[in-house]
Formats: sequence, structure tokens, C-alpha cells
Amino acid sequence: MRSSLTRRELLAAGSGLAAAAALPALSGCSSLASADSDPDTLVVHTQLGTTAPGSPTYLAAVDRFREENPGVKVKNLINGDDLAQVYETSRLARKEADVVMVNLYDKTLAWTDVGATVDVKPYLDDWGLRGRVLPTALADWTDDQGRVRAFPYFATNWPVAYNRALLDRAGVGEIPTTGDQLIAAARRLRAKGIAPVTVGGNDWTGQKLLAQIIQTFLSQEEARHVYSTGDFSGRGARRGIEYFTHLRDAGVFADKAQGLTSDSMTTQFNTEEAAVQSAMSSALAKVPEHVARHTEVGGWPLADGAAHDGPTVIRAYTLIGFWISPNGVRKIGHVEKFLRFMYREDVVARFVTESGRDMALRTDAVSTGFPLVGAAQRLGSEVSQVLLPDVYVPPAAAQPLITATSTSFTRGTSPARVRAALESAYRSA
Amino acid sequence: MKLGKRWLPAHLLVWTYAVLLVVPLYYFLASAFKSNDEIFAHPFAPPASLGFGNFRTAFESADLGLAVVNSALVTVFSLALTLLLAIPAAFALARSTGRLAGAVEKVFSLGFLIPTFAALFPTFLLAAATGLFHTRIFMVLFLPATALPLSVVILVQFMRTIPPEMEEAARLDGASTFAVLRHVYTPMCLPGIATVLLLNFLTFWNEYLYSLVIIGPDPAQRTVQVALPTLKSITGTDYGVLTAGTVLTLVPVWVVYTLLQKRMQQALVSGAVKM
Repeated sequence: MRSSLTRRELLAAGSGLAAAAALPALSGCSSLASADSDPDTLVVHTQLGTTAPGSPTYLAAVDRFREENPGVKVKNLINGDDLAQVYETSRLARKEADVVMVNLYDKTLAWTDVGATVDVKPYLDDWGLRGRVLPTALADWTDDQGRVRAFPYFATNWPVAYNRALLDRAGVGEIPTTGDQLIAAARRLRAKGIAPVTVGGNDWTGQKLLAQIIQTFLSQEEARHVYSTGDFSGRGARRGIEYFTHLRDAGVFADKAQGLTSDSMTTQFNTEEAAVQSAMSSALAKVPEHVARHTEVGGWPLADGAAHDGPTVIRAYTLIGFWISPNGVRKIGHVEKFLRFMYREDVVARFVTESGRDMALRTDAVSTGFPLVGAAQRLGSEVSQVLLPDVYVPPAAAQPLITATSTSFTRGTSPARVRAALESAYRSA
Repeated sequence: MKLGKRWLPAHLLVWTYAVLLVVPLYYFLASAFKSNDEIFAHPFAPPASLGFGNFRTAFESADLGLAVVNSALVTVFSLALTLLLAIPAAFALARSTGRLAGAVEKVFSLGFLIPTFAALFPTFLLAAATGLFHTRIFMVLFLPATALPLSVVILVQFMRTIPPEMEEAARLDGASTFAVLRHVYTPMCLPGIATVLLLNFLTFWNEYLYSLVIIGPDPAQRTVQVALPTLKSITGTDYGVLTAGTVLTLVPVWVVYTLLQKRMQQALVSGAVKM
């Protein structure tokens, strides 16, 4: 007897059923919990969560929060460098996360102005968390209209790391504190086949070091003006650029520095191919123990007539902070619980001790497991602080400045051309 | 068989070409077993150990298992929809001889002229307006739309090579138009369908920008191409882990290519793809 359902019909029916079952899963209506879809789920959009420094500690802290607050679910949306773009499109569709964890840099500088995130100043005061924040950090996160863009969290020290063993091998007795000493050290190191200062001349690490050297002849107020306006025509800025090109053409930087990136920089230092690097604390935390043992941290050597008393370092308080979105305001009770938890002394201390992070909050914890991070924290009056230009550079000029950095690190580029490249980065923006 | 001297240049070229292909592949696979320091210090040295630590880290920290499932769902459903639309469209165009059919075929070809970036913002607005933003179903509907021009053009060329007598014979046996498509044209176009499947599989599986913007970063929904870059960090990327993750995401591509490459090569050699 012929079956009422042929094999092909059976297959067709099966496929139809499978499709019907899978389509609701594909729609994912309940999967992305935006603020208005699930009032008990706090959605956090973060750069921590995979391999970024501090990720394991963050994930462990979130697990602890879940245990302590069983009524609040936390969903992490994780992005890398593309977080800002993804958040902005989500915001346009009104489906943004409730809390965003990202640096104050580039695109995020405009978020408070355009309403992509809210002013957190009232919450900071109402929740009594203002006292936990370092005053400098609070100042850096406050815009010119008095709005606090986000809850400060991570900070960084950005000293210069010197491999003492390599310097000794090259016959360099003292850590250089002047430009002339640095040039002499570079010559000795090169004679031994060791690269002197390694730097990612093709990315943000080069941009920061260039800014640090240019500030040799600038007070903080003057530096703020220069990086806000892109006007490098002042005497101090011009002398800083000349100092940079003088060091560059004297062979202070590693060969082909204009093509190196932050990864090649840290690898050259960590494998002892290079003796010096200007590195933020998250990079210092990754220096292998056998290299860290004979590494000292200090500042960038000064030139005659510098505006600073000692070698310079960068200290920044505008790394990852907690931004609150308009969706987050609708769940402000959950946001408050989360931020109170993340600001707690024991949670903050975990980031310092377990991940070697510098914090923008008050804490007594010390990074004993990360000796270079601890040493950078202890740098006192022997170094002078210059500012991180990120907060002052207009968002649209941030990427063009990186391109101008590569030009600047190319040997033979005159000071006038370096200045023109920097100024054109602002003009193109 | 003894090879004469005239074979020498050909052999040299073939071996040079093979080395050019193998060297980056070796570098890629070897890096998956190394640390950053080893990759940068000795890029072409063999790995010191063949441990799967990097693969484990990549798989766990970027949640690649779920991401592969999501990519598979989006890709399979998109491919099914593409074929469902492209085969009947190509069938109709291949059999029609009128001016209207020619115009419609040209309209399909015009799809090639739309640059990917140009469509991003309108597509985003459409997703938001339809309430399908942050869902995979929008991508399942959108990807076939982007693939139809190429798919229809390829299949039309295949179907035009089928002699009309085949259809006439089927008609004499009482076949309907649908039966002609199903029992005559589709089986005879299998190399073409395999070509369309393979090309579109590669496109759909590797799609990044739209998946990033439309589906978003939710680990429950994101595709493997969106999950993979989370292993990259501005403050220091572990390239061993990143490369291991990339190798993992390439396994499905390798499997599908192995399964379909014979059919595709057959189609290309037969000269049926006339673009």
C-alpha cells in the first residue's frame, strides 16, 4: 500500500517544522535585554570581559554582585575597539545598554553633549560616592559646563621603563635625565646592537610620547591650549617639536619606529631587544618577571630650558569609567546598586591586587604582584607630570593625529613639517 | 615519464606559487601555538609546544562555541532563502525571451553597483523601523537580498545551457512548470547551485560590518565574526589567542569548501559561468 506521506513530502514537512521552530530563536526577541524589555536585567556594555587587562577580575566581581543581589540580573555586552560605534548605533535605535564601560577618548568625548549618555553628577552626590573619587579624576571627567560625564574608575601611570641590565651592558651608568644623556645612552646601546627607545610610532603609543616630549617646554595650561586648538605655533610647542626631532635624528628611537605599533613596542621591550619604553601601567603589568626584576621606572629626560623640574611622566584618570545611558536612567535603582558595589573598597582593591590596574578612586591597596606598576605609583617629586591630551583633542582630530604621528617619527622630517602635519590633523577635522 | 627542459619554468612557477600560499598559512597556524613574544621575536620558527592553551582561552573568553552556532543559523537560513528566491527567478529569466525579461535581468545586475557602505545607514534605519534591530532574523532577510544579483546572474547562465528539448520532453509527459523546474532544471544546474552556495556561504559567514551593527554585541546572538575581535585589545593583544580563535572560526569554512569545491570546479571548468 502506498504511504499517504511520501519521503519527499516528509522531508519537506520536517524542514518546515524546523524552520518554524528556529525562526523565533533567530528573532532573539528576548535575547537582547534593553532597558524597556526586561526591568530586572541590567545591561552593561563593556570593553572588559575577554583578554583586556582586568577582565578576569571584572567578571569575578560581576559574579559576586549577582550572588549578593539575586533580584538583579547582569548581562554583559562585550566589544573591543569598536564599542563606541556599536553603542552609538544602538542608541540611535533606542536599544542601548544601561551602563557603558569605556574610556573618555575620541567619539566618547561628544556623548554627554549629544545626549547619548547622561550627566552623572547628581547621582554621584545623591549616592554619596563623590568622596571615593580622586579630585583630579573628577576634574578630568568634568566637562566645561560642569557636567560629570561618567563615574571615574580606572586610571593609569605612564612612566618610562628602563632596562637596567641592558643599560649596564652598554656601559650606561645612570638612568638618563637629560636629552644629552639620552642621546649618549642611545649611541652606546646601538653600539651593542640594542635598540634604545622602542615606541609604536604608528599608533596611540607614539602619539602619547610625541605629546609628552612636545610638552617639555609647555606648562599644563599652555599644553591644554595647544591640544584644544591645534595651534602649535607658540614658542614652547615649536621648541618641543624641535627637541623631538633632535632626539629622533640622533637615533634615540628604535629603527623604523614610524611603522611600529604598541604590540611591537611591548614585545621589543619584553624580549630585551630594546632598553627603554614609555608604557602605561597595563603594559607594565605584562612585563615578564625576569625583565621586571632589573627594570626601573622614571620619567622622560628633559632638555635645557624645560618648563618642568624633573623628567616627565603622564598620569591619566580618564581610562574606563561607568557611563549611564538614557535607558539606564529608567533602571536607576539597579544602576545605583551596581555602582555602589563596584565602588566598594574591597572590589576596587581586587583590581589593584589581582590585575595591577591603577584606579581613579581612593584605595590603600598596593600592586605587590606587579612591581613595576607599584614603582610607578610611588614616583613622587623626582618626576614632573604632563597632561594626557586625549580629553582636549577634538574627537574628529583624534585619528588624523595618529597619522601625523607616523609622519613625525619618520627620520629626516623637519620640525616645520612635523608641525604642519599636526596642525593639518586639526584642520582636516 | 621523462620531463624535458621546457617543463622547468612551469614547475618553478608552480612551486613558487605553492610556497607563496603555504608560507602565510604556516605562519598563521604556527602563531596559534605561540605567545606574543615568540610571534614577534621569531615569527617563522616552529612553535615550542603544540599545547591547545591558546585555543582554549580563545574559545572560552570569546564564547566562540555559541558564536559559531549563531553564525551557522544565520548562514544556513540565509542560504536557504537565497536559493528559494534565486532558483525560480533564474528559471523564469532563462526561459523568457521578451524585452521585459531582459530588462528585469538587467535590474538584477544593477545590484552589483550598490556599494556595501552606502547601504549601511538605510539598512540600519529599516531594521530599527521594523523592530528587528538587534535580531538575527533581520540578517537572514537582508543577506539574501545582497546575494540575489550574483546568484541570479550565475544561475541564469547555467539554465540557458539546458536544451529546450529537455523541457519539451517533460511537457509531453505531462509535467507542470514547477515539475520542469524541480525535475529538469534544478538537477541539471547542481554545479551552478553548488557555486552559488559556496560563494554565498563564504560571504555570509565572513560578514562583519552589518552583523556588528544590526545584530550587535550580545553574546547570545552575535556571530563569530563579531565575537572574534573582542579578543583584540587596544592596550595589548594576545596574538597567539587571536590567531587560535581565527583558526577555530575557519574550520566550518574549510569543511564546506571541501564538500563543495568539486562541484564548483566542475562548474568553472565547464565554462558555464559566463559573467
